[in-house]
Amino acid sequence: MDQSKQQEDDYGYNLFPERNAPKYKKDSIGATLFTFNHKCQVMLHLALETSPYAKLLLGAMKNSGCQVFKDRHFSCEDCDGAVSGGFDATSSQIVLCQNNIHQQAHMNRVVTHELIHAFDHCRAHVDWFNNFKHLACSEIRAANLSGDCSFSNELSRFNFGLKQHHQECVRGRALRSILAVRKVSREEAEKVVDEVFVSCFNDHAPFERIPHSKKDAKFANRHYESRDRYYANL
Amino acid sequence: MLVNIVDLNDIRGLFDFVLRPPRTCEDYWSEFRHCKSLSNRFHHYYTFGTHPTCEQWKEDYGNCKEWEKSHSSQAKEALRESEGSRVAEQRKFTPVWELRKEPPRDWHMPLNQGKDS
Repeated sequence: MDQSKQQEDDYGYNLFPERNAPKYKKDSIGATLFTFNHKCQVMLHLALETSPYAKLLLGAMKNSGCQVFKDRHFSCEDCDGAVSGGFDATSSQIVLCQNNIHQQAHMNRVVTHELIHAFDHCRAHVDWFNNFKHLACSEIRAANLSGDCSFSNELSRFNFGLKQHHQECVRGRALRSILAVRKVSREEAEKVVDEVFVSCFNDHAPFERIPHSKKDAKFANRHYESRDRYYANL
Repeated sequence: MLVNIVDLNDIRGLFDFVLRPPRTCEDYWSEFRHCKSLSNRFHHYYTFGTHPTCEQWKEDYGNCKEWEKSHSSQAKEALRESEGSRVAEQRKFTPVWELRKEPPRDWHMPLNQGKDS
């Protein structure tokens, strides 16, 4: 994130001011007393240990050669605005917004969402900064597969919809995510999302299904762990 | 030394007894039950606007049991075909990006604590 290279687009880094200049030194008294850093760390640990979504993604990433280490690949920081997290491809880190995540269920969802970005980064040549289609695709997948668009989550946002509402939600959230980190017009962003929607909505890797619930995620995990037997006997 | 060149297709059937159903039979049954559950039916409607079809899981369970019991080649083929089409369903899209042959080289590189860039 070279300051001199900053053009019109800062790629959303303005939402994560601590990426360049942390307010409190890591593990300092200031960090402990004046931020939600410790709470974030505890919730992160719980998410990685107990969420079947996270466990499947961690397993899939390890198998793809990108083993995730909590201390290296996750960072709890204060963020601007209402953003909950992000994936920084330059440093291969998932940023969790400690000032905006206060419930375990939310943490689980954010961790899953960002791990999906990390998984895409790991298994494909994703051009995060220059290719809008790639960005849109990963956002569609993350909204689709992380539980972001579950019926109950949408209800809590006062978005009432039933038949096929999931897809509307995925579109909307992918759009929002793109607009938050890139300087493009809404029309342009909508066009890109439309172009890649069908392809990316149907890419369910590594779940092989859309996990609507923890039970779905557990079943997906079970299937993933026995994939050797599965493919050997097809 | 005498060498017998054997056509793999001829001997494939000989080794069928070492192969197993792709999933355990309990897995097929639990997938069937899960598919039929109220919550799954609700989620399916919420996502696709249609009702899920679950009968294939039940059929697969039957074929799985048949395979284990009698190694019937009919049951095997039916199960393989069913799973084959499941795999094909998951691949039914044109990827937007190119898959990597190796993981990104900087994934494990340590973070530079001092900003020297």
